[in-house]
Amino acid sequence: MMLLALFALMLLLITVGVPIAVALGIVALAAILVSGGWAAVPNAGLVLFDGATSFPLIAIPLFILAGAIMNATGISRRLIAFASALVGFIRGGLAMVSISASLFFAEISGSAVADVAALGSILIPAMKRRGYGKSFAAAVMSSSATLAVIIPPSIPMIIYGVMAEASVVELFVAGIVPGVLGGVLLMFAAWLYARRHDFPVEGAFDLRRVRDTLREAGWALLLPVIILGGIFTGWVTATEGAGLAVVAALAIGGLVYRELDPKELRRAMLEGGIQTAVVMLLVATSALLGDYLTEQRLPQRVASGIMALTDSRWVILLLLNAFFLVIGLFLHSAAAIILVVPIVMPLVRAAGIDPVHFGLIVTLNLGIGQQTPPVASVLVTACSVAKADIWEVTKVNVRFVAVLVGVLVLVTYIPIIPMALVEWFYR
Amino acid sequence: MGRWRRREQRARSPDRSVLKRGLRRLLEGSVLVLMTALAVTVVVGVTFRKLGAALVWYDEVASILLAWLTYYGAALAALERAHIGVPTVVDRLTGRTRTVVVLLAETSVIAFFAVVAWAGWRVVRVLGGTTLVSLPWVPAAVAQSVIPIGALLFIAAQLASVRDALSAAPVEEREP
Repeated sequence: MMLLALFALMLLLITVGVPIAVALGIVALAAILVSGGWAAVPNAGLVLFDGATSFPLIAIPLFILAGAIMNATGISRRLIAFASALVGFIRGGLAMVSISASLFFAEISGSAVADVAALGSILIPAMKRRGYGKSFAAAVMSSSATLAVIIPPSIPMIIYGVMAEASVVELFVAGIVPGVLGGVLLMFAAWLYARRHDFPVEGAFDLRRVRDTLREAGWALLLPVIILGGIFTGWVTATEGAGLAVVAALAIGGLVYRELDPKELRRAMLEGGIQTAVVMLLVATSALLGDYLTEQRLPQRVASGIMALTDSRWVILLLLNAFFLVIGLFLHSAAAIILVVPIVMPLVRAAGIDPVHFGLIVTLNLGIGQQTPPVASVLVTACSVAKADIWEVTKVNVRFVAVLVGVLVLVTYIPIIPMALVEWFYR
Repeated sequence: MGRWRRREQRARSPDRSVLKRGLRRLLEGSVLVLMTALAVTVVVGVTFRKLGAALVWYDEVASILLAWLTYYGAALAALERAHIGVPTVVDRLTGRTRTVVVLLAETSVIAFFAVVAWAGWRVVRVLGGTTLVSLPWVPAAVAQSVIPIGALLFIAAQLASVRDALSAAPVEEREP
């Protein structure tokens, strides 16, 4: 009864426009007041502090910072030139370039919106000039940036790892094969579309051009290899790796490329600080509510309730996938992970689903949610760069979303796809 | 992108109130300093650990810096109206109804942080002479001060940007 009342209060607050993080806090305070009275309130101050001191989450601002520095050094231009030399000869070459550049860029930045903003501002106008149509340009940029979310480093994966108490490193490793697989499938879908609409190619394949552009972009590509290598081999933790990424980005930007735009860097740092704080405030206030929900044994009750209906792992995965797809329509990935993952984890574990496998499912699933209005930050960013209408873009985007859903189904029901590398190296 | 463009426009036409301008400068400065400090701490920490002389204070200080970044950054996000919400309903309202609903939401947020500021202040006072585990010369109250101070800054930021919320062209969503 009490739980229902709290849930209703939260919905009401969110509907009238209270930020989700604050709505969580208000509901938690209400619960504390009802069960413990005013005397219990000061403890909230402690929980709100402790909730924001999670060491693994320090990786979030650091990866954002590293990406921001790289971006302030004109890295996107170099990556695009390299991708263009590599796959530009295929029909619809610029679409191939967008997809592959997104995958490269994803290894530096942890955030899909940042990818779209950085790459889209160059590639979308280029595609428009080559007659690709702005809806297609926005759609391909938006869907490939979403796929990039499962390629390490990934901020949603870091959040999931902390919320589900799963290994962030194993999550990163699990994302590699599905990420590459999805990239190839997206390129195939783009190629089909390009062939039908007779899009141009970007010049013949030329090994010399590949070599020249690689020389320019090589440093930027070497960086993630070194850092992720350090993390994967256990030489440094994910957080420490993120710290090294900052140093490496500064070194490459300042010493090798020698074009670090301080104004752009300041803007990106502020943007990154805000992004971090927005996520962290959610983490902190959800810790406040989490204490209460754990006391009420809500996660265990959800688990036993569903397990009473079915104990088939596949049916439960189907239910969870459907649930997350619906949630993803209305919530951002970070908010959805922070709100839902702690509640469903006991169910996931009871059903014998590997938390790392589940983490990949959740991240990809919620990424797809960023392609589907009403709440679709990645799509919205791509549309605003392309100055295209969201619904027109969505019509073209349907095929790419279908590809992403296809990858999600594969990842869900053939666990070996994400888990092979994890099993091989870590189990 | 839309957001950034809007921010540039705002930079060209300076904030109307002195309070808002000062608050933005203060919060932006804090966020820049904290981001830098966090990166430096982690890098120094990992360097010393790899050199075989691990610093005892590194994890604790880095975690506290993250908490500080959380609350100073959250206040800046409030000023920019960047917190994640579901504006679908409010965006469709107009006129008086909209004003009433927006003010209701604003009041709820401010009331919440008023309680948090009070709770945080109580914690700071109770902590009295206790110190950090790894740095015995730093009072724990200094670390915890971010809760009451951050909550008050959040309230100030919320008040300074009420006008934006009332008149808002809908703020775009963002994905961290």
